[in-house]
Amino acid sequence: MSEPQFESPLSGPASRTDRAKLAVDISEVSDRGMIDLRGELSDRKFAAAAKKVLGIDLPVKPRTSTTHGDLSILWLSVDQWLVCCPRAKIQDVLGELREALTDIHSLAVDLSDARAIIRLQGNGAREILMKGAPVNLLSTEIVAGTVRRLRYGEIAAMVHIVDERPDTIDLYIFRSYAEFAWDWLVETGRRAAAIRLFGQQDPPVV
Amino acid sequence: MLLIRCPVCGVKGEEGDFHAGGQAHVRRPATSDPVNITDEQHRDYLFLRHNPKGLHFERWRCDRGCGKWFHAARDTVTLDFKAYYKIDELPPVELMRQATGYWAEHFAPHLKATKAKKPVAKRNARVRS
Amino acid sequence: MTGKPYRLPESAGAGRLTDRAKPVSFTFDGKKMTGFAGDSLASAVMANGQRLLGRSFKYHRPRGLVGLGSEEPNALVGVGEGARHEPNLRATQVELYDGMVAVSQNRWPSLGFDVGAFNNRLSRLFPSGFYYKTFMWPRSFWKTIYEPTIRHAAGLGKAPTGRDPDTYEQLHVHCEVLVIGGGVTGLAAAEAAASTGARVIIADENPRFGGLADIAGGKIDGRPQTDWAALRVQQLAKADNVHVLARTTVAGHFHHNYLLLFERLADHDPQLIADGVPRHRLWKVRANQVVVAAGAIERPIAFANNDRPGVLLASAARGLVERYGVAPGLMGVLFTNNDDAYRTALRLKEAGVGIACIVDVRQQVDGALAEAARAAGFEVMSGHAIAGIETDIGGKAISAVKVAPYSSGQGRVINEEKIECDFVAMSGGWNPAVHLWCHNGGKLKFDDSLQTFVPARHSDAISIAGAANGRMSVGECIAEGYAAGEAAAKAVMSKAKAVRMKPPSTEQEAEKRLEPIWFAPATGKYNEGNKHFIDFQNDVTAADLELAQREGYESVEHTKRYTTLGMATDQGKTSNVNGLGVVSQATGRVIPEIGTTTFRPPYTPISMGSIAGTSVGKLFLPVRKTPVFSWHEAEQANFEPVGEWRRPYCYPKMNEDRQAAVNREIMVVREGVGLLDASTLGKIEIKGPDAAALLDRVYTNTFSTLKIGKGRYGLMMNEMGFLMDDGVTVRLADDHFLMHTTSGGADRIAAWLEEWLQTEWMELRVFVTPVTEQWAQFAVAGPKAREVLQALGGDIDFSADGLSFMSMAEGRVGGYPVRVFRISFSGELSYEIAAPANFGRGLWDSLLKAGEPFGIKAYGTEALHVLRAEKGFIVIGDETDGTVTPLDVGLDWAVSKKKTDYIGKRSLEQSYLKAPNRKQLVGLYTEDPNEVLPDGAYAVEKVTDKPPMKMIGQVTSTYWSPTLKRSIAMALIEDGRNRMGEMLLFPLAGKVVKAQIVDPVFYDKQGARQNV
Repeated sequence: MSEPQFESPLSGPASRTDRAKLAVDISEVSDRGMIDLRGELSDRKFAAAAKKVLGIDLPVKPRTSTTHGDLSILWLSVDQWLVCCPRAKIQDVLGELREALTDIHSLAVDLSDARAIIRLQGNGAREILMKGAPVNLLSTEIVAGTVRRLRYGEIAAMVHIVDERPDTIDLYIFRSYAEFAWDWLVETGRRAAAIRLFGQQDPPVV
Repeated sequence: MLLIRCPVCGVKGEEGDFHAGGQAHVRRPATSDPVNITDEQHRDYLFLRHNPKGLHFERWRCDRGCGKWFHAARDTVTLDFKAYYKIDELPPVELMRQATGYWAEHFAPHLKATKAKKPVAKRNARVRS
Repeated sequence: MTGKPYRLPESAGAGRLTDRAKPVSFTFDGKKMTGFAGDSLASAVMANGQRLLGRSFKYHRPRGLVGLGSEEPNALVGVGEGARHEPNLRATQVELYDGMVAVSQNRWPSLGFDVGAFNNRLSRLFPSGFYYKTFMWPRSFWKTIYEPTIRHAAGLGKAPTGRDPDTYEQLHVHCEVLVIGGGVTGLAAAEAAASTGARVIIADENPRFGGLADIAGGKIDGRPQTDWAALRVQQLAKADNVHVLARTTVAGHFHHNYLLLFERLADHDPQLIADGVPRHRLWKVRANQVVVAAGAIERPIAFANNDRPGVLLASAARGLVERYGVAPGLMGVLFTNNDDAYRTALRLKEAGVGIACIVDVRQQVDGALAEAARAAGFEVMSGHAIAGIETDIGGKAISAVKVAPYSSGQGRVINEEKIECDFVAMSGGWNPAVHLWCHNGGKLKFDDSLQTFVPARHSDAISIAGAANGRMSVGECIAEGYAAGEAAAKAVMSKAKAVRMKPPSTEQEAEKRLEPIWFAPATGKYNEGNKHFIDFQNDVTAADLELAQREGYESVEHTKRYTTLGMATDQGKTSNVNGLGVVSQATGRVIPEIGTTTFRPPYTPISMGSIAGTSVGKLFLPVRKTPVFSWHEAEQANFEPVGEWRRPYCYPKMNEDRQAAVNREIMVVREGVGLLDASTLGKIEIKGPDAAALLDRVYTNTFSTLKIGKGRYGLMMNEMGFLMDDGVTVRLADDHFLMHTTSGGADRIAAWLEEWLQTEWMELRVFVTPVTEQWAQFAVAGPKAREVLQALGGDIDFSADGLSFMSMAEGRVGGYPVRVFRISFSGELSYEIAAPANFGRGLWDSLLKAGEPFGIKAYGTEALHVLRAEKGFIVIGDETDGTVTPLDVGLDWAVSKKKTDYIGKRSLEQSYLKAPNRKQLVGLYTEDPNEVLPDGAYAVEKVTDKPPMKMIGQVTSTYWSPTLKRSIAMALIEDGRNRMGEMLLFPLAGKVVKAQIVDPVFYDKQGARQNV
């Protein structure tokens, strides 16, 4: 019996892309494990049990995230979070979570393979995403740590602002749409189509 | 293209990021009494919807946000949203008062109940309607 | 150098936008011409002495330039060649570049000689409503003769052939304040708004900013208006909270300040296209506040044959000279009802262009500008109007105008005077450009002094300033622009310290009141060879409007539709108010009483490319791919769309057609073992103390009794009692289930469950998480399925007892972590094996390898469908269409009689859903076993010579069954179950097919094959 073969959703398309033509760098993040966690915040035992396993509080404020070492928790809804940690640790974390949550109304599911993650790095990343998403990513409310679900090029997606200046943004899309989203980014991210909003423009003649 | 705000997670977004769920405050008769549902009750539940000119009460879902259903009061002429309120809430009292036609009838018992408790309830009445 | 005498010498101090050092060559209708960098196509063609720029829409009358910018109704041209050809561009807005290939439109075979111009001779036969009145009989002629002929004769440019090679994109942007228009008003508004720190976008449709600052006359702070504007543009372009957009038309304003901005990035420079710059970008803007500073558009005057090439707006004449150094002609006549037009006379004289006289309809002409004109030596004919035009043969050039005394309300012309000239600059006053104000319900009011409609009220967060608001002096414009910008920013930026803008000092000649003139009386009998054009683009004359009134189309909206006034791409820019003036005179009603028609988006046309944006080619639609998609591709599978998924339909081998491949794949499953990629199947995890209760309410059958580790087939109805989904749900733990849905139902059913939980059964404590995307899932089906899985090795017992029918197991197979479900949609021994998606391809490859000795082959969706049809299993969407109940398809056994409540139960009790004559699912055997009925074929009670025939049902699934070696079909037939054995008739094209009603389970009725 041979080792199980692992194939991330974008290993093919990513290897075929000429990154030099792009205004920002894009790459696939494939080593991240993800647990979809649901529970009721009104149940104090739930939040406490989650914290005990994860080491940090679940983010309660909408569209935020918390980070602790190599683990981060993204807010998905008032009763739903995405727990991210290295893929190698996912079964341990999931196991501990399920054990801690026994008899507490909750649902923790390993969804590490359900999504593809595309990381955008560089100035102008927000503008590129705004070519596909009707969301004001330039809002001053969207800072490092912000999580925002959105429609991207007609598909369901989510962005996580990992860092700012220059921007590092993780775009989460469902696995089956990964190539479509990648192709969108490659097309809209072309250097020749680059745009920076509200910065300096060439003044038109009068 | 309407601009909508979700009262659950506070996100403000495009109409396309929300899902319209039709008229608000329609209750399923079978949930409370599955055995004794007249044909008329069943008909009204399935098919009878109102389409007033002016103030209307609707259900929406925050599709690309928190995924939660909520209520909205909207003027069907100006398309202005007058209020957003949670799925288990009644509209703000002042809007229930402004309602006309079907909605005035629908809210009358709730208004009566509210009045009995407090003269003016600013806060949304948390009653299943 | 071409140009003389129309290109003015540099010494004339004209042509501020052109660079005489940079000649540019281009062709117009194949004729080589030269212009300069900075020219518009219109100015360059005019400089080459050509007046004729197009033919009109309906009458094919020769037409020349009328306007200066986007208001141009006549000079519509096509630019570019082949797939890059773009029709219907206004020549005034086309920026000239070297090598441009441009053509005129609406003429055949050439602009100078146009066969369609015969329509003009027949124009008495072409009144408004002509098409409605004439082409009524015989009816069949409309499609075959009338419409094709009319479409050839009328209409505008030609669509490009070939696929557009350029790229387009869209951008979603939010800003606090959007300022529409980069003239002095817009610049002032943007400056004021930006000073608060608000994010401001200012957009102008032209390549340059400043609006009419260069031709409006007057000074700001003692300097030319353009100096003031240039400084502001530079500051705004530098500011980090402002985005300045030239070549960008705000095309539409929609609810809640949603706006479409159409940016042309590369039309003006083919090199940019070659560099890969998107040709157009469509901005979808949400603005908290909008300031409309769109300026005003000059009105033509309706005089006899006012559409002849050489008749243009006074502002256009002034602009041609000032901006491009091009003379509209050698000797002109200015025809006006207001003071502003005198600026044209003065500017033209300064540049050396001749003006024979100024014809002013007002009896009293004594404004400052008129006095200046008189002082400059102009003859001012007050109380006069142009009564006619003399042209060369064919009407392509003016030789003289006839001028007659005029007073308001006058009927016919008594005496007239001929004045030789080759162009007429006309000015009937100015109309605020209120289009964008009106797109989303802005109201207007009639302004008596301007004799036009000006903005009144709006329910959106939008304001309007400057000339667009009826302010016609530079001082008022700037003051109002500042005020509007401040107010807009303040409304958004509650905490911002508003920097109070100090308006500059301005000086500009005062203007006296204009006198409205809606119709200038003509020489000769009214309507005798005289056409007073109101809408140049749609060829609507004053006579057409009057006729519409006489025929009862009195409502202005009816007038518009009957005559086409103000319709289509032009949206009445130059025609709207003049049209209302004519209707007013014809009906004796005042204009405010008549009201206006609706202005619709777009302000000027936007490209189809920009509407498509990035969604072209492989990005046209989102495509979903399973984890083994690349394998299917490499195997050259035939794909079929299933929702957004692409699933393999079959895998044809060399020299095999689709039918042969499907037949082979079916027999592989029936006789050996097949492998199906079933990853698209919907999967939902459901957990909570009330999970079982929820399932009992949404399924027709009971799930609370299901044992852990077991699965059950469930049916879902909607509240109407109609089937909406089906699938096997497995109990993972007491409070934990895994639901399978149809591929198409995955998202819908998850949302459906959420909706019930959130909005109706709030007391149920259940969490629902869709997990479809997490799993790659494959069906291993066929008599040898067990052997294949056993060969792979692992910790799961695949024996008949170890994993019995409708059971599930978790463990490892071939080293992969899996969930295995022993369920069957083919009727064979079958396992569905699910692994995390990133292991999907590996597991698939392992299965193929392990199965090789057993002859395993992949099978596609068509084989899957035939296999299930042989077993009489329904497919939601094939056997159901939203009006089919579980009872109709014979699934009574899955409808609980015990449960008191579940979705759809009450509806199933309605008499009409229990009626005996409802269509019921049956099987069909065609009389000729080789005849496969077409899908959807109708069975009829009796076959007659021609329809109608009474239909009694339809085929829902129909296949060639290689297992049974004959055709099989499933059908919904009225009272079908009581008609077993009956022969039905299916009338098809040219024949009637007979088929016998049989049991819909065609194969292995006892289900023995799956229970081994």
